[in-house]
Amino acid sequence: MPANVYLPLLAKVISVKEEVGGAREIKTFRTQFLNGGFTHKCGQCAMLSMFGRGESMISISSSPLVKDYLQFSILKTGRVTTAIHDLEVGSVIGIRGPYGNAFPIDAWNGKNILFAGGGIGLAPIWSVLQTALLRKGDFGELTLIYGARTSQDIVFKDELADLRKTMAVHLSIDVAEPEWKEFVGFVAQNVLDKKPSPANTIAITCGPPIMIKTVIKALKDLKFEDDQIFTTVENKMKCGIGKCGRCNIGRYYVCKDGPVYSWADLKKLPQEY
Amino acid sequence: MVNIEDLKAEAKRILKGGNVKYIIGYERPSNAWKANPVFARTPEDVDRLVWDPSCIHNLVRFVVDEKRRKAKEKPVDSRPIGVVVKGCDSRGIVVLIQEKFIERMDVFLIGVSCESTGVVDERKLAKKTVGTTVLKVKFGERMNYVVTTEDGILDIPAADIIADRCLECIASFPVVSDHLLGEKSKRDVPKPFQSVEKMESLPTKGKWDFWEDQLRKCVRCYACRSVCPMCYCDECVVDTINFAVTPETTAEEKAQRIKWLEKSPADSENIFYHLVRAIHLAGRCIDCGECERACPVNIPLRMLNKKMEKEAKELFGYDVGFDAEKPALMSCYLDGDPGDFIR
Amino acid sequence: MDKILAKNDFARWLEALASYRLYAPQNKDDVWTYELIESPDSRGLADVMTAVPAKKIVFPQREELFAFEEGDEAGYALSELLPGEKPTVIFGLRPCEAKAVILTDLVFGGEFVDEYYWKRRNAVTFVGLACLKPPSPNCFCLSVNGSPHGTEGLDILLTDLGDTYYVESLTEKGEKLVKAASDLFADPKPDERTRVMRLHGESEKKLRRSLSRIEDVPEKLKGMFDSPFWDAESMSCIRCGICTYLCPTCHCFDINDEVESSSPLQGRRVRTWDTCQFPDFTMHSSGHNPRPDKAARLRQRINHKFQYFVEVWQNYQCTGCGRCITLCPVGIDIINVVEKVRDHAG
Repeated sequence: MPANVYLPLLAKVISVKEEVGGAREIKTFRTQFLNGGFTHKCGQCAMLSMFGRGESMISISSSPLVKDYLQFSILKTGRVTTAIHDLEVGSVIGIRGPYGNAFPIDAWNGKNILFAGGGIGLAPIWSVLQTALLRKGDFGELTLIYGARTSQDIVFKDELADLRKTMAVHLSIDVAEPEWKEFVGFVAQNVLDKKPSPANTIAITCGPPIMIKTVIKALKDLKFEDDQIFTTVENKMKCGIGKCGRCNIGRYYVCKDGPVYSWADLKKLPQEY
Repeated sequence: MVNIEDLKAEAKRILKGGNVKYIIGYERPSNAWKANPVFARTPEDVDRLVWDPSCIHNLVRFVVDEKRRKAKEKPVDSRPIGVVVKGCDSRGIVVLIQEKFIERMDVFLIGVSCESTGVVDERKLAKKTVGTTVLKVKFGERMNYVVTTEDGILDIPAADIIADRCLECIASFPVVSDHLLGEKSKRDVPKPFQSVEKMESLPTKGKWDFWEDQLRKCVRCYACRSVCPMCYCDECVVDTINFAVTPETTAEEKAQRIKWLEKSPADSENIFYHLVRAIHLAGRCIDCGECERACPVNIPLRMLNKKMEKEAKELFGYDVGFDAEKPALMSCYLDGDPGDFIR
Repeated sequence: MDKILAKNDFARWLEALASYRLYAPQNKDDVWTYELIESPDSRGLADVMTAVPAKKIVFPQREELFAFEEGDEAGYALSELLPGEKPTVIFGLRPCEAKAVILTDLVFGGEFVDEYYWKRRNAVTFVGLACLKPPSPNCFCLSVNGSPHGTEGLDILLTDLGDTYYVESLTEKGEKLVKAASDLFADPKPDERTRVMRLHGESEKKLRRSLSRIEDVPEKLKGMFDSPFWDAESMSCIRCGICTYLCPTCHCFDINDEVESSSPLQGRRVRTWDTCQFPDFTMHSSGHNPRPDKAARLRQRINHKFQYFVEVWQNYQCTGCGRCITLCPVGIDIINVVEKVRDHAG
């Protein structure tokens, strides 16, 4: 990291993959630093710089154990992300980071991990999933319960097909489609349907705010304790380092003190996100 | 003379009858001489209402807020709100009606006449009371203000500390109201627009240097825009976001929104902001003077808007905010409009 | 090190400091602001409170962070635009503004050190003027652990003795300024020191406003997050930026890219002041806004100053200068609001 906290490092885009097309477009980018670089922990984010447009804080979805690149999956939603979506292989962007806290995965040795994600929410927890797969034996059983609005909105489609070979993967979409053979309904309903056991299990959930709320409720109904449930929060950010004053929830800056929260901690905070 | 007890009685009457949701008036906190806007919902609230030369604010600004609130209300309470309005303020209501932003029945206007004097300019008063603290300002009987300070009572001629806009007032009496307090009076304005004429007489470079110098002070707090009843647009040149976005607004639309103005207070951006705002207020500004009063760095903003008001009068014979039946100046073309600039 | 300086010699002191950039409160169009001293006032320093506080010198409203230029192979060339470190003196600072700098130091330091702030801040020598009478009718520094003759954050404290200033050097930086023109400074007589102590003591009794039992407030705020109190208090707020831009302790900012040419792309990344009171401050790209109304934004301002900052830094984020009260166009009074919080039932 350069000494100047606002100066990004330069990186080039080495791959661009369209995950989801249409109105809620999502693309996955892999980047390589031109000079220097940094390592990150699961759950941390980086500020991606589109010079002339601005910056956007995106969670790093590749595992820290992968040294060749950083991976970001980005939903096109505004000025900066639209510019990011226009990037091609070879384009140069700025990256500064890593920012935020991390999932406390070292405390989860030997535990089962349940991943419950919706839509683009799979990206922030993907780094934990990839790390768990690479550190086979460190963790117990891995389960993924993931859903999206429609089958088109499912991210990491190819990777999910591969995942099924090594772990339980339960997908869902909100409304039935002719070719769809799996669960139809919301992710929270799918969680209740598959009844994951809370015994020696950590649950990580991420997705649209309403999905997080309902999934947490479902997990509580299944007798998960508050400190067994983890999620990530997002807010509008500019500096990424806890100084510009805008992303706070109570006394905590999501960029610096988050984005990872256990439900035990998050439920004590004001509903300001 | 306006009798404050009459004002309170009327306010209590309409509140008690359930005719209005609440009344916006002026109150004075115990530790200051300046009145502040107050939202009165009960007879106790009404008892706090005042009317004195410190009632500077244009309360019509809060009519805009009420419209935003109503848009989120469930179920909608469609009763009007009561507003205490001076002559200049009432012209603001006329403009909002002309522009179909509100309907006449959305407001119950308690009109107050400024009679022969107007409101006090805080900065002018401060100059007259250096070294002491002002406690209260009252209307005098003879075109004067009675200023109570910690060190005694001062009798100051109104002309010395009256707000500049009152010196050019063309509506010292509300042009529209539901209940009227005070004498219908006409103030003798020797020369309307005289504040602008001095500036007009300067050479172009002099004018440009003056404004560059003044606008350099601007801290872009947007108090001028925020306090103006006519600046009600949800999509403003100044903002980087269009507040009228919905979940259906596409990313492209948001990405393609033109950034007219940088956020930073560079000279070019400051000048651009203020000139654009003045032009957007052409034919709409009623010279309530709030923009200049609110400005923390004392930029003579009134002059920019007054110039536009003068143009509206001279080019189109249009007096802003008098006739709600007339179409708004910038929204119509009349056959008699000057066409000599079309070649 | 205590000295006496005749006010008549003040201009000569400034001349001896010609290698520094010198700021003092100056009157332009009836508004006092800190500006570079062009011709020293032989009467000494104005005893005023400026509209824009001294924070604008260490934390300017517009700060260029770096320039970017589209290049060929490396993609972009980035050039840092760190501020120079020309030694600067701010004269006539009120103790509340100096204390505010101590508070903003906490924000701009820590794990991520903001070099732009520190380069400017470290180059400044702060020369304060004791408030022998409150410069504003809304001063309440004593209620927030401040003092009209406070020395926190100052390198020199001046006390006005009529024809002279009592010059208390508090740090090496302060002493250096005095030594630059040591022949102008005399040693104080014992009765002058006594007089200063007396004037300081008297100044504490002159504040017109106070906020008692402020220590009850942080806890009270915790229980009031969902209270309709905020809606009632914020009814007349017009959502401008005066209270926060002119607050010496407020530090919120925005970062934007300002493009000078689009092909090849050239521009600067610029930091500017921002305020939690603007509606778009926290608005997400999707349109979702965690603070969608004025009630939430007023609550944020009060909570940040009297609860969150206390929880993190054990200090109120307010030094009692009263600018927000004096300059709010609709008279929203932070003392009244916080008193109501303190006394709120339940």
